Amino acid sequence: MTLVSVVFDLALVVATMLATATLVIVGPRQIAAAIRDARWRLEVCLLPLAVLALVLFIRWSTVDVVIRLERRVLGNNITPQLFELEQFLFPQNPVTVLQTFASPALTEFFVFVYIYGYAFLLLFPFIAYFALSNMDDLSTLILAFTANYAIGLTFYILFIAYGPRNFDPLLFEPLLYDVFPQSRSLTNQVNQNTNVFPSLHTSLSMTVFFLAWLTREKYPLWVPVSGVLAISVVVSTMYLGIHWFSDVVAGTMLALISVYIGRTYTVRGIHRSIRRYLDSRFGDRGSAGQQ
Amino acid sequence: MKRVAPSVTRRSLLAGASGVGLSALAGCSERFWSRAENTSPEQVELTIKTVPADDDAIAAMIMSQLRENLQAAGIDATHEPITEAELYRDVLIDGDYDVFVVKHPGIDEYDALHGLLHSQFVAERGWQNPFHFSDVGVDELLERQRTTDGDAREESLTELFDYLLETAPFTTVAYPDRIGGAQEQLSLSRPPRRAIEFVDILSQEFDDGPFDRPLEIGVYGEALTDRLNPLVVDRNRIQGLLGLLYDPLARRSTTDTHEPGEPATYEPWLAEQIEWDDDGGLTATVTLRDGLRWHDDERLDADDVAFTFRFIEDTSLGDVEGTVPAPRYRDRQTLLENTGRIEVIDDRTLELPFGSTGRPAAVRALSVPILPEHIWDPRSEVIAERQTRALVADNDEPVGSGLFEFGETSMDELVLEPFEDHVLRSADVPNRPSVLENFPQFEGIRYQIEPNVGAMLDSLADGAVDVTANAVPPDEVATITDASGVSTTTTSTTSFYMVGYNIHHPELGNPNVRQILSQLIDREYVVSEFFNGFAEEPTRSNELFGSRGQTHLDGTESTMPLSVFPGSDGEIDPERVRQLFVEVGYQYDDGALLK
Repeated sequence: MTLVSVVFDLALVVATMLATATLVIVGPRQIAAAIRDARWRLEVCLLPLAVLALVLFIRWSTVDVVIRLERRVLGNNITPQLFELEQFLFPQNPVTVLQTFASPALTEFFVFVYIYGYAFLLLFPFIAYFALSNMDDLSTLILAFTANYAIGLTFYILFIAYGPRNFDPLLFEPLLYDVFPQSRSLTNQVNQNTNVFPSLHTSLSMTVFFLAWLTREKYPLWVPVSGVLAISVVVSTMYLGIHWFSDVVAGTMLALISVYIGRTYTVRGIHRSIRRYLDSRFGDRGSAGQQ
Repeated sequence: MKRVAPSVTRRSLLAGASGVGLSALAGCSERFWSRAENTSPEQVELTIKTVPADDDAIAAMIMSQLRENLQAAGIDATHEPITEAELYRDVLIDGDYDVFVVKHPGIDEYDALHGLLHSQFVAERGWQNPFHFSDVGVDELLERQRTTDGDAREESLTELFDYLLETAPFTTVAYPDRIGGAQEQLSLSRPPRRAIEFVDILSQEFDDGPFDRPLEIGVYGEALTDRLNPLVVDRNRIQGLLGLLYDPLARRSTTDTHEPGEPATYEPWLAEQIEWDDDGGLTATVTLRDGLRWHDDERLDADDVAFTFRFIEDTSLGDVEGTVPAPRYRDRQTLLENTGRIEVIDDRTLELPFGSTGRPAAVRALSVPILPEHIWDPRSEVIAERQTRALVADNDEPVGSGLFEFGETSMDELVLEPFEDHVLRSADVPNRPSVLENFPQFEGIRYQIEPNVGAMLDSLADGAVDVTANAVPPDEVATITDASGVSTTTTSTTSFYMVGYNIHHPELGNPNVRQILSQLIDREYVVSEFFNGFAEEPTRSNELFGSRGQTHLDGTESTMPLSVFPGSDGEIDPERVRQLFVEVGYQYDDGALLK
C-alpha cells in the first residue's frame, strides 16, 4: 500500500524532471527524430541492454542465497575497520562534519536529491544518448552501468558493512528515515542495510557525470547539471548518515573503473574474445572428439 | 719508558675500547634476547556485538556508551554491528563473541535463571547458558530455589543474587517501558506482546463491536515471517504470534502477582484440569479438554504432550549418541524429573513427574507450546553434526492447536484465520479461561509488516492499523501523541537490556573484571537520556540480573558494587576505573590496560 504510493510519487516527479530536461537539453526536434527511427537504435543496444538486464535479474533472483552466503558463510564484517580507519585519518569523521551543518531545509534538499535526483540522474542519460546520431555513447553507458552493478554486487557479497547511522546513533544522525520513513520500503526493495561498501549511489552518479564530461561537446549543458546533481548525491549519502567517506571513495574509484571498461570494451567484443579464448583452449579437443 | 708507554697506552686504549664495545653489545644482546624470549604484555581487546540502529537504536546507543567507556578505561574496544538473527546465531548458537548488548525478552519467573546460568547447559544452544558460565556455588543455589518453596525458596533466591553480585556473569542495564499506540476507540490499557494479551484485546467489549473484520496489528522488521519454527532462536519474529498458533497446557494469567515463594497463577488452556500431588515426589495429573484438534484436523491427545517434552530434550529422539536438545524451552523441560517416565494414562490424561522440583518452579513447564507428534516426529531426522531437521525447518505452514490458524503471508502481511473447531471458542466448556469471557470481538488477526517504526506509526495514524506490537522508541512517542484518534499506551515490563560476557575470553573469565565492566554503564544516565525516562533502572540485586519478579524479594537492597558508576553523565572518570583495575591486579602502560 505505502510502497505503491511511494513508487507512484517517485514516478510522477521523476517523469516531470525527465520531460523538462529532455526538452531543454536534448531539444524537441532531436528527440522527435530519434523516436521516429527508434528501431535501429534499439537493435544496436539490444545486446548490452540484455546483459544489464541479466545482471539485474541474477541479482534479483538470488537475493536469498546471496544474503545467506554473505552473512552466514563469508561473514566478513568490515564496519569496525571502516570506522577505525576514518578515526585514524581524520580528526573528526567526515559524516559528523557534514552533519554539523544539518538544518531542516538542507535535510529536505538532500532527501530529495538522494531519492528523486538520483533516479533522474540515472535515467536521463538513456534518453539523451538515445537521441544521438550513433549509439556508441549509449552502449558505453549501459556497459558502464553493468560493470558498476557486477563489481559492486560482488563487493556486497564479500563484505558486510553497515553505514554510520546503523553503526552508532549517538555519533551519527539517521536523517533519511527520520524525515521520510516510507522511503525505507522503497530502498528495501533495492538493497539491504548491510550493503554500503562501496556506495553504488556514488559510483552510478559519478559514472553519469564522467560520461557527461566525455560527451560534453554533444550536450554542454548536461555537464554542469549532472555535475551538481552527482556531487549532491554523493554528499547526501554521507549527510544522511547512510554511507562512510570510505564508501564514497571506493564508489568513485568504481565509477572510474566502470567508465574505463565502458569506453574500452564493447559487449560484442568481450563476447568475441571469450569465444576465441574458449576455442583456443577447448576448441581443438572438441573437434578431435567429434571426428 | 718513553718507548713503552705509548704502546701500552695504545693497547690499553684498544682493550678498553673493545671492552666497552663488548659490554655494550652484551647489554644490548641481553635486552634483545629478553625481548625475543618474552612477549611483551599486550592491550586487552574486546569486541562488542550488537544489532544495527535500524533493528534497535537503544541497544546501539548503550553499546556506544560502553565502547567509549571501555576505551577510556584503556581497553581496545571495537564494535561490530550485526543483524538481529545473526547476532542470536553468534551469541546463542556459535558462542562467537566477547561482549554483547541485546534486549532480552524478559524472565517470566526467577527459575528462568536456572537455564541462563546453570553449568549443566554450558554446551547447549539457545538462551541456555550462552555465557559458558560455570560456578558450583551458583549451581547449588539455582537447584535449591528450584526444589524449595515458601520462605526457604525466598532465602535461596536472596542468597543467589548476593552471590551473583560478585560473579557478574551478565548485567542488566535497564527495563524499558513497553510503549505502543492504539486507536482511541479500542481504549487499551497496555501495548500487547504475549499471546494471551492479544487474546485479551480480542475479548474486550467495545462500544461499536464486535467487528466483522480482523484485528489489524502493526509490526516492523526484516524477514519476520521467514521462519515460523517455535524451537529455533536465530531468526527475527513477531512477538506473540507463535503463542497464538501453538497452545500450551496453561498460560500465565495477565493478572498474575505471585510471591517469590508461591507458584504463579496459570489459566488452564489445553488442560481442563491439573492436579498436583506432592507424595513422594511432585507429580501433576493433567486432564486435557475433550475434543481437541490440530489445525490439520488430526486429534490432539496426551501422546502429543508427552512427545513434546521428549522432543525438546532430544530432537533426534535417541538417534545420536548423546542428545540434540532444542534451543528453546529446554530449561523448562528439565523441570521434569525424567521425560521417559511421563505416564500417558489415556487419550486425555497423563502424569508429569517432577521429582524433587518444587511447585513455584514446576508450573513453568505448563507454558511449553505443545507440538503435533505427527508433524514433528519425522523432523527428528539427523541432517548434520548435532543438527536435526527440526532445528533448521522453516515450518512455513505451522500446524498448531491455537485459537487461530495460519492463513497466508506475503512480504508485508501475515494473516491468522480463526480456528473454528477450537473447543475454547464455545462458551460452555468446563473451566474456560476467564480471559475468554467475551471472546472474540474480531474475526481473526492480520499483521501488517512495515519496514521500520516510522512507517508503522504512519499506518497507525492512517487508521490502517488498530494497535502496534513492536517496540516504539521513546523519541517516537510524540509521533503517536500528535496523531488524532490514536492514543499512547505504556506499561512497565520484565524485558531488559542485557550486557553479556563470554567466559571463554581470557580476561572475561575473571569475575573481578566482569564486575568492573558491569559498572561501566551509567544506568541512571541511560534511563534519562536514551529512554527519555521511559525505562526503569535496576535498583535491587535481583533486578541487576534480569529478575524483576511480581513482588519484592526481601534482602535484595544491597547492589554494591555493580550499581556504582565510576564517573558522571555517562562518562567514566578514567583515573577511578584504572584504580579499580589496578586493585584487582592489572597493569597499565601508557594508558593501555595490559593483559
